[in-house]
Amino acid sequence: MRRRNQTPEILAISEHELTVMTNDLDQIHNDVSMPAMKMALGEWTDKIRTSRRGFLIGAGAVAGGAVLAACSSGSSSSGSTTTTAGASKTGALTGDLAIAALAASLENLAVAAYGDVLTAAGQNKLGTVPPAVATFVTTAKGQHAQHAAGWNSAITAAGHSAITVPDPALVPTVNAAFAKVTDVVGAAQLALMLENIAAATYQNGVSAVTAVSSIKVAASIQPVEMQHAAILYFALGQYPVPNAFSPLTGARGPSDYSGG
Amino acid sequence: MRGRLKEGRTAQEDGADIDPGAMSTLIEESQDIHHDAMAATTTSLDEMVDAGMEARAHGGVDLDESREVAARRSHLLTGAAFGGGLLAAAGIGAALQGVFASPAFAASATDVQILQTAASIEALAVATYQTALTLPFIGGAAANGVVKAFATTTMQQHQQHLTAFNAAVTTLGGTAQTNPDPALLKVVNAAKPGLTGPGPVVALALELEQGAAETYVADVAALSDANAKKVTASIMGVEAQHAAVLLAVQALLNGNAPQLITLAPGNVANLPAAAGSVGFPQAFYPTDQARPATEGAMS
Repeated sequence: MRRRNQTPEILAISEHELTVMTNDLDQIHNDVSMPAMKMALGEWTDKIRTSRRGFLIGAGAVAGGAVLAACSSGSSSSGSTTTTAGASKTGALTGDLAIAALAASLENLAVAAYGDVLTAAGQNKLGTVPPAVATFVTTAKGQHAQHAAGWNSAITAAGHSAITVPDPALVPTVNAAFAKVTDVVGAAQLALMLENIAAATYQNGVSAVTAVSSIKVAASIQPVEMQHAAILYFALGQYPVPNAFSPLTGARGPSDYSGG
Repeated sequence: MRGRLKEGRTAQEDGADIDPGAMSTLIEESQDIHHDAMAATTTSLDEMVDAGMEARAHGGVDLDESREVAARRSHLLTGAAFGGGLLAAAGIGAALQGVFASPAFAASATDVQILQTAASIEALAVATYQTALTLPFIGGAAANGVVKAFATTTMQQHQQHLTAFNAAVTTLGGTAQTNPDPALLKVVNAAKPGLTGPGPVVALALELEQGAAETYVADVAALSDANAKKVTASIMGVEAQHAAVLLAVQALLNGNAPQLITLAPGNVANLPAAAGSVGFPQAFYPTDQARPATEGAMS
């Protein structure tokens, strides 16, 4: 990732102060949000382990992994957005776990897409990359990885393998879009599309899942994706909060993952 | 995360070089998009009206659902979910628990209280932004154009949230709440004398937005009515976006770089690296600052 060589003194001061503030916020994140999140996931996984639903899910496995592998290999391109095979034991997940699988695959897609952006930047394919954009991509990518890990913790608690593939229905679209990206603006627009899709999916998800603990998980992630989108709007020179009510436009459904 | 405005800074120094015409165009575009989003929320509210009428026509609610809500509300009243405990300490919790113990008590009664509290938070937000806009360094001619536009638009968005929450309240048989959250009102009133520059105003707004977002994140798990949940879910992320913008603005003010608070094309190239992540400090949105569910409920 290339950075600007010249940094005015005022920005050097700002950089230091902002870095300190970011570190403080990161500490707050570890102190506050993660324990709450772990508690919600713990409630959910306990419920999965003990409920009749969990038993049925665990017993009803079919060869879903093959579907994912096929989706992955069938949409491969020069980018790394298509990753290697996913869950070896993944079956026909239903109910809240089907939503969790969809969410994990969407998060995997975001992680892969941001990874592709970083790779392209490192290869000087995006022109000059502003430092704030580099920080955004790195941080957002890390948060999406945490989201994926959160969903996968519930899935694995139910006896299934973690979902490691990106949303197979969206991969072709993202790959095609990424192939046209030649600069930071294009990369930001692609990222904005993914963040808005993720936010809409989670917003829809709080009504689609049934367990309160599942709702908590989805509700704790949707605002974060919305914040990613707000910063991307700002970076693109657009008004950062365009809607008084966030739309469901672009929300994905469980069929993305199951192929059904 | 409170603002630390440098002493002696003038409003003019806080101004940024922006294009008012371009800003107006952006606002208009965002409002067009907003109308599309509003359609989905209106649909949820319409569905609530239909469901409410149907429930009243049949004179009852699902008993299993009511029992679940009663149990959940009992949990909330102990303060376990919202970190409150204030109601229990005030002796109100026991009285309400008696009411909620009846499975026949409609789930909507619980939802009404949650939604009234949400409305009270929105009423306070509207009033606070209105006050902020009377300050020369927020709403005056010398104010930063983006900050002024943000305060204006955000106030309007909160007004729309207030309308939506109260529409949900009345649909479920409750009384619209137009008064501000009493606990938060004290916080705002205490802060008013110190609103001597953009920094303290941003810090106060951030506190309100963060509290609102966290409250709604908690609410979607506590609400029983499906459409009330949808309406709340469509608002929680917007408050989080307000908070993200305020975090970024606050950081730039604290970094003595108010000129970077602009939507001018190419501005991103001038932003310091940390500005890229300061707006979203947590991977999972917390709820430790969520307001107690009945704080703004009407008796």
